[in-house]
Amino acid sequence: MNELAGGVVEIGAWQLLLSTGFIVVVGVLSLRLALGLERDLAVATVRTYLQLIALGLVLRWVFGVDSAWLVIAILVLMMAAAAQTIIARAPDAPPGIFGPGLVTMLLTGFTVTFAVTGLVIRVEPWYEARYVIPIAGMVLGNSMNGIALALERTFADLDARAGEVLALTALGATPWEAAADSVRVAVRAGLIPTINAMAAAGVVFIPGMMTGQVLAGADPLEAAYYQIVVMLMVSAATAIGSVLAVLLSFRRRFDAEGIYLEKGYRSHG
Amino acid sequence: MTLLSAQGITFRSAEGVLLLDGVGIELAAGEVADVTGPSGSGKTTLLRALARLLPAATGRLVLAGEDSSAIPAQAWRARVALLPQTPAIRPGTVRENLLLPWRLKVHAAEGSASAPDDRALLSALDSVGLAADIGLDRDAARLSVGQAARVALLRVMLTAPEVLLLDEPDAALDEESATLVATATAEAAARGAAVLRVRHRGSDGRAGRRLRLAGGTLAEVSG
Repeated sequence: MNELAGGVVEIGAWQLLLSTGFIVVVGVLSLRLALGLERDLAVATVRTYLQLIALGLVLRWVFGVDSAWLVIAILVLMMAAAAQTIIARAPDAPPGIFGPGLVTMLLTGFTVTFAVTGLVIRVEPWYEARYVIPIAGMVLGNSMNGIALALERTFADLDARAGEVLALTALGATPWEAAADSVRVAVRAGLIPTINAMAAAGVVFIPGMMTGQVLAGADPLEAAYYQIVVMLMVSAATAIGSVLAVLLSFRRRFDAEGIYLEKGYRSHG
Repeated sequence: MTLLSAQGITFRSAEGVLLLDGVGIELAAGEVADVTGPSGSGKTTLLRALARLLPAATGRLVLAGEDSSAIPAQAWRARVALLPQTPAIRPGTVRENLLLPWRLKVHAAEGSASAPDDRALLSALDSVGLAADIGLDRDAARLSVGQAARVALLRVMLTAPEVLLLDEPDAALDEESATLVATATAEAAARGAAVLRVRHRGSDGRAGRRLRLAGGTLAEVSG
């Protein structure tokens, strides 16, 4: 019999074992079908256990310490990790975009997180870790994906349009004038998954935050209001973050004279 | 009168090949000069250097007595116009492609030539044998290679640059179109432009000078 603790169904060793059992079934399937995924599956499962338990322990500790500085430090760390992930996902991007990536994550992450916790949820005190950290996580996780996509597309599209960029530059275009089409394509690409998610929310899937709150015993309508707020703010963060990240970094593919550095000329940059 | 002067233009490719080894060239207003040379000898690279479109090239460039350091890069390129070998036609109509320069700050600025009207655009198309074939409202994506090459050339010529750097302007053209393009180019020179062409075809009788680029150096070809 499950115990209800503050509206939350408590998970014990048996439940964890049961869910792991399903993964074992998938592992057996992988063996029988020669998918070759057993090792990856095992490693991923162990990582899921370790990372999430570590996160749980860290959050338990942070919630207990109740320090504004600690919460800020954790947010900065999360944003630096997000900026690093963005770079890893944009292999076509020029070197030196960690800075623009971090600035973007800091600006959009802090603004949107504290807009939600301070103005919408009205958390007391303003740095209450129980609210601030999970919401920052949602904002960063979603906007990071959009920003990475926008950056990757910007530089891939510039390379694909290198001939046109040269012709435009030869006509006297500034780097912005030569790159604007690629920037537009890229920001659109970064936003489409977010717009799709907004359109499908509640019909095709129940968003994560709402699911969590409903499981925790909250009124579904209250949970829906929360989810709307978070979804709109996350979409705004993705849009503003994508535009900002691309604007802060596209110029790095041009030299001081405004010449687009095609593949053969990059060592000259 | 010397319009464009280049001295000691040096450029090494990313692979370490010395493509331009202290190249010097002087172009006078009203002249047409051709550059020849083996494939890979750096002819395109030279044109890019003169248009200030070559990263990390060194040397001195002077336009109408003014050192390049005194002229912003965009303004320089509006005056020393390079036509790349591959025509870059953008989505839209022929008219939108021809008027593209005027969507750029440097050509829209006060003191620049104003955008041509439809009559001037049609007359330009006519000068290279295109007016009857395509018209201004044609979707530029549907142009043939030879038509696209001529539209790209006109787009540069309509801005009336002081120096025209043309990278194989007639490579994709049949004899008749090549002759029309050569005439239009010569007319630009007659209006006072200096024209430098990279060409692989035999002489068309338009160039007053022929230069040969080989081993990183540029030399006059006599006769």
